[in-house]
Amino acid sequence: MMSHRKKPSNAHGSSQSTSNAGPTATQEEEDDATFTQPSTMQVQKGLEKLTPAQVDQKTAEVVQYFLVKDQKKIPIRRADLVKHVVKEYRNIYPEIMKRAARTFDQVFGLKMVEIDPKNHLYILINKLEPVTGASPITNPTNPKLGLLFVILSVIFMKGGVVRESVVWKILKNLGVDIGEKHEEFGDSKKVVIEEFVRQRYLEYVRIPHTEPVEHQFRWGQRAEVEVSKPNILLFMGALHGQEPQSWSQQYQEAHRAPNSSQSGTSSQR
Amino acid sequence: MKRARSGDEEDPRQNASPAQPQSDGDSSGSGCGLSSADMQHKEDSPGTRREIRSKYRELILSVQKNREDMLSASNNKLTEVLEKANKLFQDVRQPREAALDAQLLVVTTDLGNEKASQLSAEGASFDSVAFTEHLLSYMGLKRLTNGEDGQQNGAAFGYLPQDAWQKVAQRAENCFRAAPSFHYMMGSFHAEPPPPKQRIERQRKAPTKEVKRMMPTQLKKMGDSHQEATEKEVERILGYLKKYYQDDPTSPILYYEFVIDPNSFSRTVENIFHTSFLIRDGLARMHLDSDRLPCIAPVEEGEVEAGGSSIRKQCIVSISPKLWKEIKEAYDIRNPLIQPSNMQPE
Repeated sequence: MMSHRKKPSNAHGSSQSTSNAGPTATQEEEDDATFTQPSTMQVQKGLEKLTPAQVDQKTAEVVQYFLVKDQKKIPIRRADLVKHVVKEYRNIYPEIMKRAARTFDQVFGLKMVEIDPKNHLYILINKLEPVTGASPITNPTNPKLGLLFVILSVIFMKGGVVRESVVWKILKNLGVDIGEKHEEFGDSKKVVIEEFVRQRYLEYVRIPHTEPVEHQFRWGQRAEVEVSKPNILLFMGALHGQEPQSWSQQYQEAHRAPNSSQSGTSSQR
Repeated sequence: MKRARSGDEEDPRQNASPAQPQSDGDSSGSGCGLSSADMQHKEDSPGTRREIRSKYRELILSVQKNREDMLSASNNKLTEVLEKANKLFQDVRQPREAALDAQLLVVTTDLGNEKASQLSAEGASFDSVAFTEHLLSYMGLKRLTNGEDGQQNGAAFGYLPQDAWQKVAQRAENCFRAAPSFHYMMGSFHAEPPPPKQRIERQRKAPTKEVKRMMPTQLKKMGDSHQEATEKEVERILGYLKKYYQDDPTSPILYYEFVIDPNSFSRTVENIFHTSFLIRDGLARMHLDSDRLPCIAPVEEGEVEAGGSSIRKQCIVSISPKLWKEIKEAYDIRNPLIQPSNMQPE
């Protein structure tokens, strides 16, 4: 069923020529390339040959894989999923994914979202809306979240794109100097341009024709589905002692109808 | 600037500025042929070309180096560059210069794009300086007192408490619909197949083990002194069962008739409890009669198999005071088949 091709160099071509595309990108694309989405007929046939227990077992394995991979908030690639977990059940892949999505939804209260339909990347997000205002529960939170939050807020308030120099300056004013080792974040620049980018919270893209090279920050695909713009505005309002509506453009953007620019809903393949 | 070709007629113009494309007053009126030929010769000179190219490069460089300045909304420097470029373009004759012009256009367009995106038509502007000030207050910054000569830039402005970023993180949490991190209580996870399968099996086995353990712990909970009492009670009930069965082996004993004590709900419950041991140990069995009512009968001596038997089914019997009353009335139970013993706990 699967066609075996020689390794084509960039035959598929990444959808975005972002600086994320490392040397492994082509390998993953290659793996993904050998996976062709089975037709409904094929899925039906495949299901007939398996017992319900077998299908349930495989679904459970997929669910486990997702949950563990999500610990580090790194998106899950379809290619990895097929290669490491689904394996010989790939002919009923859509059915398994459908069931897994249902499990996440009903058992865990999570949504499985395809944040990148081209490269087939998935994440898990919470089905529940976050509470407005400070949370009554005080769990120990990772301080990196605060750093991320500041950057995301700045990008949002400044219209969606910000040059990196602006971000570095703001961070420096907050005591985070990328030239020095930070007490809590260590190599803060690395955290921002590597960890947050890999998690798809941020996008870090070269600005063309800049000499020396400069980059821009945007919200990443994960941020688009996971982060609540209205809540950011509420926090801004509280911080500045202003009404969120006073930032009319950002307010409009925050309360825009969803899914006009977002990719993927749950249980997409 | 030297010219490759110099004709006698062009010498008078040597001192004129070579970049001037406008023809002089007298030559414009006269036959175009001669003056345009003149102009062509003049402008074709490599020196002229070089100058134009160098001016373009200058402009490109100035845009790149003074980016910040050009972006500022307070001046028109970008427009000025474009105007200069326009003038320069009039002299462009060859592809090399045009290419530079195109390059300049690209650079200025980028800048123009950025400048445009900086404009906010309406609403409050977002001032990052104000933002950082407010945020620092929120984080609980302790500023340096006047005695210390604080540095200008952000870094050594004072002391942030240890949990400053933690505080922001906690406040920020509600902006994220993040899935809570899932952690096994067991060890780490490998992407290879075998570990997940093992874990699934173990997890499935565990519950059944617990079920089996349930019964003994129940007994233990009643305390050691009670354990004997329970056993005795169970034996006593078995005795009743056998007796009633022997009285009339053909007529089946209705289960509810057997266990219900019309005088006490709690004793009924205890009877059910004790009877369940008989079933578990294979000393009694239950079946449904022709009316699909549960009946109970002792198992023949030879048939007794402790522990697992070939056909074992489990069922859960529940009873509530309301149900107890209903059954009492339906079956018209006046006297308990299981006589209350003398040593009843509580």
